[in-house]
This record gives sequence, structure tokens and C-alpha cells, in this order.
Amino acid sequence: MSAHTLDLKNRATGDKIRGRLFYALLLVSVTVGFVLLGTLLVDVFRKGLPFVDGILLTEPPSAVPERAGARPAILGTIYIMGLLLVMAVPIGVGTAIYLEEYANREKWYNRLLELNIQNLAAVPSIVYGILGLAFLVRGLGLGRVTLAGAMILTLLVLPIVIVASREAIRAVPDSIRQGAYALGATQWQTISRQVLPAAIPGIATGSILALARAIGETAPLILVGALTYVAFDPTILGPFTALPIQIYQWIARPQEDFRLLAAAAIIVLLVILLTMNAFAIWLRNRYQRRW
Amino acid sequence: MRVTFQEELDQLESTLQEEGALVLRALRGALNALVQQEGELADEVIAFDDEIDAHYLAIEEGIQSLLARQTPVAVDLRLVLAVLHMNLHLERMADYCVTVAKLTKLVETTSPDTTLLEAFEEMGARAEEMIRVALDSFAERDLGAAESLVELDELIDRGNRRVVQHLLSLGSDPGHHEWGLRMIVVSRCLERIGDHAVDIGEQTAYLVTGEFREFTDASH
Amino acid sequence: MSEMERAHIAPVRIGSVDERILTERQERVVNQRRDVLFTVEDLTVSYAGVPALKNVSLDIYKNFITAFIGPSGCGKSTFIRCFNRMNDLIPTAAVQGTVRYHGADLYAKDVDPVEVRKRIGMVFQKPNPFPKSIYDNVAFGPRILHMRGSLDERVERALRHAALWDEVKNRLKASALSLSGGQQQRLCIARCLAVEPDVILMDEPASALDPISTTAIEDLMHDLKQEYAIVIVTHNMQQAARVADMTAFFSVEVDQERDHRTGILVEYDTTPTIFTQPADKRTEGYVTGRFG
Repeated sequence: MSAHTLDLKNRATGDKIRGRLFYALLLVSVTVGFVLLGTLLVDVFRKGLPFVDGILLTEPPSAVPERAGARPAILGTIYIMGLLLVMAVPIGVGTAIYLEEYANREKWYNRLLELNIQNLAAVPSIVYGILGLAFLVRGLGLGRVTLAGAMILTLLVLPIVIVASREAIRAVPDSIRQGAYALGATQWQTISRQVLPAAIPGIATGSILALARAIGETAPLILVGALTYVAFDPTILGPFTALPIQIYQWIARPQEDFRLLAAAAIIVLLVILLTMNAFAIWLRNRYQRRW
Repeated sequence: MRVTFQEELDQLESTLQEEGALVLRALRGALNALVQQEGELADEVIAFDDEIDAHYLAIEEGIQSLLARQTPVAVDLRLVLAVLHMNLHLERMADYCVTVAKLTKLVETTSPDTTLLEAFEEMGARAEEMIRVALDSFAERDLGAAESLVELDELIDRGNRRVVQHLLSLGSDPGHHEWGLRMIVVSRCLERIGDHAVDIGEQTAYLVTGEFREFTDASH
Repeated sequence: MSEMERAHIAPVRIGSVDERILTERQERVVNQRRDVLFTVEDLTVSYAGVPALKNVSLDIYKNFITAFIGPSGCGKSTFIRCFNRMNDLIPTAAVQGTVRYHGADLYAKDVDPVEVRKRIGMVFQKPNPFPKSIYDNVAFGPRILHMRGSLDERVERALRHAALWDEVKNRLKASALSLSGGQQQRLCIARCLAVEPDVILMDEPASALDPISTTAIEDLMHDLKQEYAIVIVTHNMQQAARVADMTAFFSVEVDQERDHRTGILVEYDTTPTIFTQPADKRTEGYVTGRFG
């Protein structure tokens, strides 16, 4: 007897239960992450928002909370980020182009280069600080200046820029290169006119990721000589400070008001970060339309 | 779309029509030679067959090449197959003209029988008409005109039967024996030319309708 | 009775006429062959020491469409890439033998591959327009080669030549990727024509396209061969039959001991001959579809 009945009803099998359990665990992790982050942000904004005003942005720090501002720190952070961009992006993108378009993977020196890049990413940031102190501040005789801070942070974030740029360059289909070569383009013409323009979204994303990483670094900057109390505007070849350091300095003060100021400075830091992210997303979308 | 392919098809068709025109000339020549008993004209007709053969070969090769290279389907395929068959029929018609010419030469010296020659002129004119109708109906893809060939063929067939009876009625004069047999062959040639024209009409019908069909059965 | 026997009533034998007509036809084809554009002598291409294609010799004629057909793995794509030194881009590729273009050896030591590719253009299997506007795609070649004269005119001429101008003349600034597959392939052809090559190599140009686009490309090839020599690789032998004047059939030789599969040239002749009476049984096996 082969009475074949069709049974399509929903039944609770072991696989299905495991599936639902897994889904529940996923929800828990997402919630935990968001809840923690959310709590932090809400706390910061609640405390700091009233203190975000003209004084914070334009006045130098002072012993009196009412008159204290973070202007030198804000300028310092902006200078460092600017220098970082100017140094890290060309070096990083150049390295990526070399590795992806020119290098022969079989050669030992290219393999060594790839290995070193991976190592760079694994080094703790404080070691970069020591490096900077030894070689840039003392060795090269630069002194405890903004440029030294920017240079050391460049090294720190270089792997990020390189990896992101390599991915972006690799993502350009080989058929585009073949098409350009077949028309009689040289290697450089192909790279500069086809590969790089197509890789810009990825490179931009990588650069912004690098900046985001660097903007919060404190330890290397301190070791390279960032001052905790700077009442004047920093210059590139002069003493400097940065927002994370200013925040740290304010939190360490006994007065409650300084801690609220620190929260306000955190908000400013976040705003700078979000602005950079927004710019990166805009840049990516503008170029991605073409694909 | 497929411009070269269309040009090749058009070329095939126009070569076939050219061949048809040549066959008409050959037939006219053979008839004139027969009726006027001109041996030299008959020689020309025989030599003229080379031109028709050249067309025949060109079409054969063209079809082979076209089938191999262009894989025609639907109406294109039917056209190519129709042209293939028509080509053969035209070539056979030309051969019959040659036969008539050769027989004309063989009876050059015999005195003419006016009744017979009139009959041949009549049959010849019918045959010419049929060839024209066959070629035109193909060019126009005119099914009705193609089918009308059957009736025209009927006229030639009757003409053939009358010739045979006339020859029988002439009695058994030994001098006439050979001549008589040859004249029957001439009549037969003209009748066969008519049949081939009908076959061409059948190919036109196949091209237009897609059906393989004989216009009449064998019992007529 | 003797005269009756002599009366020739059977169908005319066309023996002597046959030969004469056939010879005339072959001479017509031979006279159509213009100058020799490429001469390939004993060409062997290896990847990492393993020969992919060996001992190929043939001539490519100007104003002809030449097709390379054969089963997959027979080296026809490798072969066509030898004509514009695109195999140089593959590090493991090694080319032995000679490829002469207008008499000059393309693989001579002092020959710059970039110079070669300016004169010998290539269209690929999958249309590969650059992610730029239609105008910029076609203008890319003239720009990088610093060609003088009006760029607008060059672009228009190339697009007209590729039978694409009417469809895109009002949206030259639109993205090339907004075109259909068939249009993209014609754009790639226009891009290739803009640098004014002598030869256009096409590696399976229509295999990624639908039948209507394929027919459009084939009609285009017929037009283009008035001015250029065209060499195409196709796995669709009916396409070769429709389009090509000369056809070369490649096959695969298997070296059992070393487990190598190497391509060889089996037969090279006019297309009607290849498809009606090929000389080699292997060719016949392939074109009749009975190939294993």
C-alpha cells in the first residue's frame, strides 16, 4: 500500500529549535552592543550638551570652568588629522598600487613587504609612541611638535589605508585593465585613468577609517610630547595638544564642572568624527553611481 | 539584418531566372530550326547548351555553399530547396531542346510534312507559354498562376496524342519509318518540356504553401 | 538504326564544362585575397613550460574575416592574443616562433607591445565598457594616444562606424553601463575603431549576446571588413560559417604521459570548403557535430 499523504504541517524539529535559539542569541548580542553604546552616548549627551557653546570652541583652557575652552585641543586635533591625511593617503595608496599592479609576488622582497605591513597592524599604539620619541623627537631632532605626532599616527594607521586601498584596487575588474591595454595604453595610463578612479570609493572609505582610528589615539601623542595644558594655539612645528588629551586632563580634575566640560569635548570629538564619516559616505556614493 | 544572406538568396533567384530566359531562347531556337529545317541553327542551339550548364552549375554550387554556411530555415529553406529542384527541371528542359536540335539535323534532308510542323509550332508555342508562366508565377509567388499550368499542359498532351495519330495514319511507307520514329521523339520532347514546367509550378506551390504536392495524379 | 544509336538523347555529360567552371570559381576566390597582413611561422605558446598551442603556421589576409574554430581548450584564444601581444600580460606565458605583421616580427626584442596594440585592436567576449560616459569611453583611446584633430569628430565617426551613433547621439554623457549588452559591445567596437587600427581582433564577440544583437554584430563585421582585417575566435561554428571568408580549425592533442593538452592547427581554408568538403576527417567530425 502506498497511500502517499502529503504532510506539510509545521513541526518543531531539533534543527528548527536550534535555528531559533541561534537567532535569539544573535538578537541578544545586537541588543547588548546597542544598549551599552546607547547608554554611553545618552549619558555623555545629557551631561555635556549644555556645555557645548561658543566658549568651549573658541576659548583656551583655564583653571575656571566657566571660562575654559578647548580651542587649542580642537585646533591640534584638526592639524594632526590634516597632516595625517596628507601623509598617510599618498604613502598608503602608493604602496597599495605597487603591491597590486607592479610587484611580482614571487620575489622575496615583495613578500617581506607584505609581511611587514601585517606586523605594523599588530603593534600596540604605545610602542609607536616610544618609537616616535626615540626616532622623531630625539633622533631626527624634531622636538615635541605637532608634526611628530602626526607622523607617528601615520605609521599607526598606514596598514588600514593600505589594506583598504588594496581591496579597492583589487575590486576593479581585470576586464577594464585588459580593455585599456588593448587600446594601446601604458601601464601607468591604465592605472591613473582607469584603475584609480574606479577605486576611489574604497580608498576614501579606507582613509576615513584611518582617520577615525587616529582621532582617538592618546598614548602615542603623550609620549611624543603632547602637553596637557596648552593655553595658546598650536603650530605645526611647535608644541601641541589634542582633544583626547584635553578630555583626559579635564576628567582628572576634581571639579565636577570639568567633568561636564569633558563630556562636552567628547561630543565635539564625536561630531568631528561623524562629519568625516558623512563625507566619506558622500564621496563613496558620488563615485559609486557610475558603476 | 543578414544583408549578405539576403543578397545571396536574391542572387540565386536571379541566376535561376536568367537560366529560364536562356532555356526560352534555346527552345525558340530549336523550334525555328525544326520548322524551318535549318541545320546551322540547330548547331547553334546545341552549342548554346554550355551557357545553360554554366548557370546550372553556378546555382548548384551556390546552394551547396548557402546551405552549409547560412543554415536557412522556414521560407528561406523552402526557397533554396525550390530553386534546387527548379534548376534541375530547367536543365532537363534545355537537354530536351538539344535533343530536338540533334534530331532536326538528322532529318534535314527529308521533305517536310506541313501538318506535323504546324502541330509542332503549336505545341512549341504552348511550351514557351508554360515556361513563361512557370517563371513568372515563381517570381511573383503566384499560386493561382502556378496551378494554371496543369491546364496548359493538357493542351500539349493533346497535341502529342494528335501527332502520334497523324503519324500512324500516314501508313507504313518504309522511307518514312525512321523519320516517323524521330518525329515521335520530338513530340515526346516537347511534351516532357511541358511536364517539367508543371513541376516548376509545383515547386512554386511548395514555396508558398509549404506542402509537397503533385498538381495531378498520374491517371490523366 | 545506326543513326538512331548516334542520336544523343540521354542527358548531356558536363565533364569538360565542369572543370572549367570550377577552376574559374577558385581563381575568383584567390584573386579576392588581398595582401597578406600577418604571417605566422611555427608558433608555439606555453604557460609555465606547458605548451598550450604548438607549431602553428598560417597567413591572415587583408579585408577578410578570418575565423578560428575548434573545441574548448584548443588554444584559439591564446592564439588570437598573440597577434596583439596581450599574452605579455600573463607572467607565465612564453611565445616561440614568429608573428610577422606587414613583414615585421612582432616579437622582436626592440618591439614595444604598446605600439603594437595601437595598430591592432581587440574586442572581448564580455563587453567591458569603462565605468565612464559613452563619450569618454570612445574618447579614451584618442586621448591617451595624443591623437590630433577634433575629438568630437573622432568620437562621432567611430560611433557611426560601429552602427551606434543614431542610438546614442543624444546621450553621449550618459553612463556607458546604461546601455544594453548588444549596445555595449558595439560601444567597445567603436572604442577600438577610434584609435584607427588596421586589424580588429574579436575574441568570441557575440557569445554573451542575444540572437538579435549577435546578428547586428555580424552585419557590422561585414561592413567593417571593407576597411579592416577582422580575426575572430568563435565556439559557434555556425557563426564562423555565416561570417568568415577563411576558417582555421584547431584541435586538441593529448600527451598521455605528461597529461598535457596542446592545441594544433588542423586545417585552414576558405569557409565554403571547410563546411562543404573539408580535407581532414577531424575537421569534418567537428563541423558535422560528431566530434567526441
